Amino acid sequence: MKLLLFRLWNYLRGYVIIIVEGFFIEKFINICARRNIHLWDIRMQRERLVTMRTTIKGFKLIRPVARKSGCKVRLLKKTGLPFIFNRYRRRKAFFAGAVLFIILLNLLASFVWSIEISGNNELQTEFIEKALDRHGIRTGAFKYRIDTDSAVDKMMMEIGKLAWISIELRGTKVKVEVRERRDPPQIVPKHIPCDIIAQKDGIITRVIVKEGIEAVSEGDTVKKGQVLISGSIPVKGSEQSKLVHAMGTVSARTWYEEEVPVELTRTERIRTGRVIKDSSLILFSWKLNIFSSKNRFRDYAVEESRKKLSIGENLVLPFEWVTVSYYEEKVVEANINEEDAKKKAAEEACSKALERVPEGAYVADKTVRFIQEGDALTARVTLECIEDIGMSRRIGGN
Amino acid sequence: MAKSNAKGKRKKDQKKIINNKRIKEKFTEMLELPKELVLDRPKLTMIGKNDMMIENYKAVLEYGSGRMRVNTGAGIVRISGDGLAIREITSEDIIISGTIHSLEFIDAG
Repeated sequence: MKLLLFRLWNYLRGYVIIIVEGFFIEKFINICARRNIHLWDIRMQRERLVTMRTTIKGFKLIRPVARKSGCKVRLLKKTGLPFIFNRYRRRKAFFAGAVLFIILLNLLASFVWSIEISGNNELQTEFIEKALDRHGIRTGAFKYRIDTDSAVDKMMMEIGKLAWISIELRGTKVKVEVRERRDPPQIVPKHIPCDIIAQKDGIITRVIVKEGIEAVSEGDTVKKGQVLISGSIPVKGSEQSKLVHAMGTVSARTWYEEEVPVELTRTERIRTGRVIKDSSLILFSWKLNIFSSKNRFRDYAVEESRKKLSIGENLVLPFEWVTVSYYEEKVVEANINEEDAKKKAAEEACSKALERVPEGAYVADKTVRFIQEGDALTARVTLECIEDIGMSRRIGGN
Repeated sequence: MAKSNAKGKRKKDQKKIINNKRIKEKFTEMLELPKELVLDRPKLTMIGKNDMMIENYKAVLEYGSGRMRVNTGAGIVRISGDGLAIREITSEDIIISGTIHSLEFIDAG
């Protein structure tokens, strides 16, 4: 290990191999050692002829030593990086290219070339991208001019749905992480008078009033927005009524219905194995088509894969390789057993309906019907639920 | 009379030098100081029979692929072997490589 390092160091500094010939080689070696001329790999080749290595600096000091010791010194070989550089010194274009490369790399590394947004569920990625754009964070923006702190502050102010955002510059990549806020439920403060109204249509099954007057009773059919428990209590012998904060639970029977057509034939797409691939290079933002061939398939599926050139994970360069593959497909139709098809459609409709049932509701009944309409057969699933449909609303205003 | 006096003085001087040396040696032994530094003694390190390092040497007296002589503070070290080469040499250390057959101390001081 030490030896390897030593060799590498010598290579970087450059050294020469010399031949020393004479009767007093020992004297030559001793004088060199005393004058701090570094020698190594001294080998006797033949009687009175020795090869050795020395540094470039040492070689410059060696003439007087040779004269003093009466030895003849000849240069055998120059090795190392300085000599290689020397050889290329004349080649200006080569050096200009090397310098240009470094400058270009640095220049390209000082721009933002990709934005990574994560953590958003309901907020659209495009929406966040647009907001970032307004604060100067976009692909192609100069990295050192981006003020992430102020962008974070401004975005927090602008987008109410954001609970937290972090913008991090890493190499040529901007990493944006967001957390979304869940809107707090609208609660009417206790001291403000309110009614309880229906959230949706239904048939009342039970009314429990804690405060206020019940406006509906069991068995009533109510419509969305209808007052269930009133917060205005009429006062005897007075035109005006006393306003209270109505409280209570109103359970109602509600229905959720979904329809799914029964499909007796199933179309399946099978890839035939024939593929056409288009490749293009995206430089900054202009596209360069390299292999572009006409898509001549009638039925096909398209797949796109993008590869960004990057050094490491964070230094993304503005070169992108896009491959679009067209896979030829064959459409195959298959008949399905009617029973199976019906079952499948009913299950699908049921799960679709269940998705709409809110949390806390209790599914009381489920009915499945098949409706024939001309040639088409549809499965209709009705879920009967019991749920709390009450919602408070301020009296006089929203 | 005068002659014998001069002779006696020289003898005394020599004795003094020897005494000084012995005191120095005693001291270094007592204080456990590295002898190669204080007493100008060489430190010879051998790894197997192929590599050898002599620290604190004085001069290379003879160099050949079969025989080498190196002057040190503890006398002349004679190394005989095959394909002896000086792998590195500085003003203090010398590293010898090759196949070493024997190592002798030829007392010269």
